[in-house]
Amino acid sequence: MELTRLPFLKSALKSRYPQLAVFIVMLVGYVFAILAGLIGTPVGSHNFSIVFVWIAWWAILILVAVPFFGRGWCAVCPIPLPGEWLQRGAVLNPPDKKPKWLNLRWPKALRNIWLQNISFLLLALFSSVLLTMPNITAIVLAAMLFAAIGLSTICERRSFCRYLCPVGGFIGLYSQTAPIELRIKDKQVCVTCEGKPCYNGSQAGYGCPWDVFPGGLTKNTYCGLCMECIRTCPHDNIAINLRAFSADLAKPSTRIDEAFKAFIMLGSAMIYAGVLLGPWGALKDAAYNVGTSAWFIYATIFLAIIFAILPGFFWLMISLTSRPSPIRRGVGVRAFASLATTLIPLGLMFWVAFSLSFVLTNASYIIASLSDPLGLGWNLFGTANAAWQPMLTSILAPAQMLALVGGLIWSARTAQKAANEVKVSSVPIVIYCFITTLAMLWLLL
Amino acid sequence: MAGLVVAFAPFPVHPITPQERAFRIEARQFAYSPSELKVNLGDTITLEFVSTDVVHGLYVDGYDISVESDPGQTKTLSFVADKPGSFRFRCNVTCGAMHPFMIGNLSVGQNEWFYRSIGLAIIATLGNIGYLMFSPRPTLITDY
Amino acid sequence: MKRSELLSRIFIMVAVLGAVGAPLFVWARTSLIHAKIAEDGGWNPDVIQANAGEPLHLKLTSDDVVHGFAVGQMDMQSVDVLPGKVSNVTLTFDRPGIYTFFCTRWCGLNHWRMRGTIEVGGSPSDPQSVSVPLYISLNLDIDAPHDSPVVPESKPSAIRGYELAANSPILQSLNYYRANSPYQVFDELSSTSLTESQRWDEVAHLWQSNTTRESLTNGQQLYAQNCAACHGENGAGNGVFADDLAAAGELSMQTMAGTDNMTMQTPVDFTNPTRMLGASPALLQGKILRGGMGTGMPMWGSIFTEEQIWDLIAYLYSFQFNYHRGESQ
Repeated sequence: MELTRLPFLKSALKSRYPQLAVFIVMLVGYVFAILAGLIGTPVGSHNFSIVFVWIAWWAILILVAVPFFGRGWCAVCPIPLPGEWLQRGAVLNPPDKKPKWLNLRWPKALRNIWLQNISFLLLALFSSVLLTMPNITAIVLAAMLFAAIGLSTICERRSFCRYLCPVGGFIGLYSQTAPIELRIKDKQVCVTCEGKPCYNGSQAGYGCPWDVFPGGLTKNTYCGLCMECIRTCPHDNIAINLRAFSADLAKPSTRIDEAFKAFIMLGSAMIYAGVLLGPWGALKDAAYNVGTSAWFIYATIFLAIIFAILPGFFWLMISLTSRPSPIRRGVGVRAFASLATTLIPLGLMFWVAFSLSFVLTNASYIIASLSDPLGLGWNLFGTANAAWQPMLTSILAPAQMLALVGGLIWSARTAQKAANEVKVSSVPIVIYCFITTLAMLWLLL
Repeated sequence: MAGLVVAFAPFPVHPITPQERAFRIEARQFAYSPSELKVNLGDTITLEFVSTDVVHGLYVDGYDISVESDPGQTKTLSFVADKPGSFRFRCNVTCGAMHPFMIGNLSVGQNEWFYRSIGLAIIATLGNIGYLMFSPRPTLITDY
Repeated sequence: MKRSELLSRIFIMVAVLGAVGAPLFVWARTSLIHAKIAEDGGWNPDVIQANAGEPLHLKLTSDDVVHGFAVGQMDMQSVDVLPGKVSNVTLTFDRPGIYTFFCTRWCGLNHWRMRGTIEVGGSPSDPQSVSVPLYISLNLDIDAPHDSPVVPESKPSAIRGYELAANSPILQSLNYYRANSPYQVFDELSSTSLTESQRWDEVAHLWQSNTTRESLTNGQQLYAQNCAACHGENGAGNGVFADDLAAAGELSMQTMAGTDNMTMQTPVDFTNPTRMLGASPALLQGKILRGGMGTGMPMWGSIFTEEQIWDLIAYLYSFQFNYHRGESQ
């Protein structure tokens, strides 16, 4: 169903003002979070930086934005904005005189999500420190902002967003499960279109900042929902559609970088559930004391799980699927990658289940932090002394159960489609999903 | 159908006579010792809680009860374990960076939600495999 | 450029600069006293200026764990200093001088080192006379070993001692009690015809008659809050920090018995009759006032009032004697 047929929605998306308003709110919040992390109290639970990034924003991201809006966060994220405004020479419509920046093409060898895999893993390995210390969060936020600004002056379009952002890596992958999409309406229109302003820009707007040709979009993975193409298309040929969940997974991607992203997300959800939410103090010590030998062992095991154990076990299961197995039939890597798309809904649900736990436990900090964001003794809205109180604890276990079992069912169905493409049985893959789901259930429940 | 049964059927309860149980728990940054407790449904639990480095708390999820201890000053928390399941207990007094992850586990009786989940997962998996095996589409192992 | 572009740019600049500038401005004008565990620096600032007679408003916050704030030898309720939250305290000092403020909630092995000073200015009125502590006027060497050569076979009972004293009276004055160890009193009773056990009972009676219920309650509370962490909740020298003290290095746990003679010590076991019965209240007062000179024993001179120390000492002896409260310890 085409959502942009609703005139209210269409004009809201085409006009730059509603989007700008949201951008300003997000940018102010982001910059304030950096400030709070640097000058506010070092106690994480009472600092805006930790509370609003790792509790509030994370909760909205993983529980609402990604499952229901795919790359919806990218649509409002403030990180690319200062750099992009510099690059474009304007905040609203393109100026008459465009500034001359380097606008280099992103190097071909790096046109994949490996850098994003690495940047996510870097954050993950240091997560115990990142999630608890406001100054560290502030430094990371500032680093991303400055990296984005710097890259905008050197490379074209939103290179940070497309190739470096650790969040964008997994949002892109998981956006394939979302029930909304941005697609062209009629392919013939694009064939006869002169100049392709959706990609190259025009007076009405800029060429796709995500380096995507909208006319060729078949999946959500790399479209950041920035709405530029809706503004530039002279034929009104671009629409936002409501569709079935995970429609993109019917044509599974065969990219190995994306496959490893799926393993990274699956593995890190399980490791976080064990280390952060488990009762094993030694694991937490190892994860937190960065630089000690315990931490190196922890980091090695972390990477081993993600790069060896999980994919290795998956590979083993695939080789049981048929005789001769796809590995021996010589389509190994691509088959592996396309079958690995099975893990996308599973990983998303693992993260939902994990996040529900610490979000419901700690959401009450949000209320207090609104009144005293820096821990200086303010009481802006009168809620500064709101006590810590876990919320909705009685629904947590059933909610996690539904999420994880739901994820299993969802992945099993995805496995069928992926297996059909490669002409193998999906049974061993379903068993793989079953075993990992059991592990996650045990860790969380 | 099977799913609904697994999800909602009451658990078979093995009636075990409730006992009095006493545990001494020490808290340090950022773990409890012992960090895993196991009791039967209906037991009366007395926790002797003492911190060994800074002020810590112990809050039991699901039971919504807590106790706080300064180092060297043991405090007692008593309650009846009348809800079955697996409950995390966590520190509710800010005690340093990793405070939000200072967690232990209290297991009362059977972990019903966990067993229900396993049941549902098994049903889902078997259902899926069964559908694949018995559907007319060529997805059988032996076909290739 | 177009007006809409200009206005948008201005709006963005104002919003972002405001979001950064306003909090920064307020932050720069807020003076907070930050509490951290001693290993990370303790109080910051740790010297505060004030004037006699003027109220001093303090804002305190903790940067790590739960701390507390109180000023030594002042009758005030201690104020909790909580991580990420701000506590307000108003103090008024009658006399100029240097006051010690300290942390009141255990925050690690070196909690007791978390102290600072408040320098209160103003014209000195009549100089306050300070009495010399008893152990000095008695010329006691509080570092010398003070083991009691004789110990009772069972805990002496003050009730029995009271009954015995009807026939065999014993000097009960406060000064006598404070200046002598239980063993010394026991020894002086050797001129009577009482058995050893009876003599210990009379000693217990002497101790009990210089102890009030209130002082025991006070002492117990002071002990729990200040001493139990090292000396153990039941006085046995096995507090939660006892092992850490030893592990923290020999230097923190050694006494000098002679210039080159370093010996290891652990927190004193108050249930040990040999050590306790050979110590007079004056000696214990000295130890508490002055601290351990090389061991991890803190000096409490600037923190406790004299009355608080006598109460604490009264409680310490209750590990050795059965008082007529009826509780055996």
